[in-house]
Amino acid sequence: MEIIFDKVDKNFGVINALKDISFEINQGEFVFIVGHSGAGKSTILKLILNQLKASNGKITIDGVDLSHGTKDEIDQIRRKIGVIFQDYQLIMDKSVEENIALILDIVSYPKDKIQSKIDEVIKQVNLNNRRFLFPSQLSGGELQRAALARALAIEPEVILADEPTGNLDPENAWNLVKLLKDINEKNNTTIIMTTHNYEIVESLNKRKIEIKDGQIVDSGSKDSSKKHIHSKKHERN
Amino acid sequence: MSAIKTTWHHLRRSPFQSLIALLVMVFSFFVISIFIIINSGLSQVLVYFETKPEITLFLKDGLDQTAVDNIQKELASYENIKQIKFISKDKALEIYKEENKNNPMLTEMVTASILPASLEVTVSDPKTLEKIYQNYATRTDVIDEIIYQKDIINSLLDWTSAIRKTGIIFIVIVGLIGFFTISTIIGMKITNRKEEIKISRLLGASNFYVKKPFLFEGAFYGICGGFIGSLLSFIIALIFRSSINSFFQPVVFIDTNLGFYGLVLLSEIFFGSFIGLLASWIGVKRYIKF
Repeated sequence: MEIIFDKVDKNFGVINALKDISFEINQGEFVFIVGHSGAGKSTILKLILNQLKASNGKITIDGVDLSHGTKDEIDQIRRKIGVIFQDYQLIMDKSVEENIALILDIVSYPKDKIQSKIDEVIKQVNLNNRRFLFPSQLSGGELQRAALARALAIEPEVILADEPTGNLDPENAWNLVKLLKDINEKNNTTIIMTTHNYEIVESLNKRKIEIKDGQIVDSGSKDSSKKHIHSKKHERN
Repeated sequence: MSAIKTTWHHLRRSPFQSLIALLVMVFSFFVISIFIIINSGLSQVLVYFETKPEITLFLKDGLDQTAVDNIQKELASYENIKQIKFISKDKALEIYKEENKNNPMLTEMVTASILPASLEVTVSDPKTLEKIYQNYATRTDVIDEIIYQKDIINSLLDWTSAIRKTGIIFIVIVGLIGFFTISTIIGMKITNRKEEIKISRLLGASNFYVKKPFLFEGAFYGICGGFIGSLLSFIIALIFRSSINSFFQPVVFIDTNLGFYGLVLLSEIFFGSFIGLLASWIGVKRYIKF
């Protein structure tokens, strides 16, 4: 799945959240979108999901121009994307297992294979003893893993992860990132992850798109994050 | 997770709203079934009178036998005449006494002279009765009074028509109450589950996918309402059957024809599912816009 942003603007009233954003992400890439809070990282993910519409410019996913795509085309694209929302977006009155079953039903996963798929992803994110609990009964880390399990269940072409490490302790944050890296390498799944954790970005040495005040300041190198972390260290010293 | 499972989940998550919607539909269909049963009974009464084609011509006092014979001949010339029976004054007294034999007060003072002689005409086609009536109604020189089922039928028709009109108005009102109750309750449920619908849409659920459980829910209320409402009305009809039927004797006002009740039940289930689907579809159209 190819994702292309071509001179995209997003305005919220008089506020320009994104200005002249252009980049291209190819299948199988692992891309960090970095920037400070309010820089516009989550807005990019919402535009990819067509949760928000671009004010100007063109977003093309899998050859479909999102501003002109039919509802069916948009639904089809969404079914190929696994999402880990910043606030998890799990359905509160469904158990972890039911949340996963829901997305499998949405993508018309074969009914006789749903239970084995649930078992597989729950094991993958290590939530076996929490599968029948409701989101309100889970900790932040468990919620994040439940959201990841839901995203993984559909064997997506792309995973969008919006600040997935934001609410996790360092150990769980690393585990999650490692898991995403494995999925990327094993399944050739595109991972687009927003974060402001430069240490994670540097350690993985993957492509990085840096956003500042709604504009791209760096759209591509794998090691540019290192420079950033060094400059941060200098600032602290 | 199938849509039916989701529908069941919705029903269980807001049991009181579900119960209200169901009760309103049960009440609506109970009223509709009762009306159908009453209407069927009234039709039986009408059929009974319509299939007893008789007319009685009361003769003026003082007619000689020739005049009576002439009237009888005239009557015999009509088509579809089955029988013409002359009831003399003496015979009329005899009948009167027989009918009131348990009440001597009524028979003591009555003599044959105060009772009119009459001709009772039975026909095979009720239309002939109307022709006879039209002809003899103006013959005041020989006919004193005419009584035939038309009066009773007309009176019954008036009553039946009034009951039917009132029933239809009542059905429309309870139908509308049921319709808007389902529509509003589905709307409330959608509002309660707005977040879930939004998440499902972001995960790639089609518009129809998120609407389907609510449509099923509306149909569920309609089908169950139709089924339970009909059954309740049948039970009530069976309980009161003997007393109502004895009042309308010899007409069988409440029948035990299983085919009739089966047809009513199926029609109401079908109609209920239609109303429920339509109401929930309107609710869904109004509240799901993303």
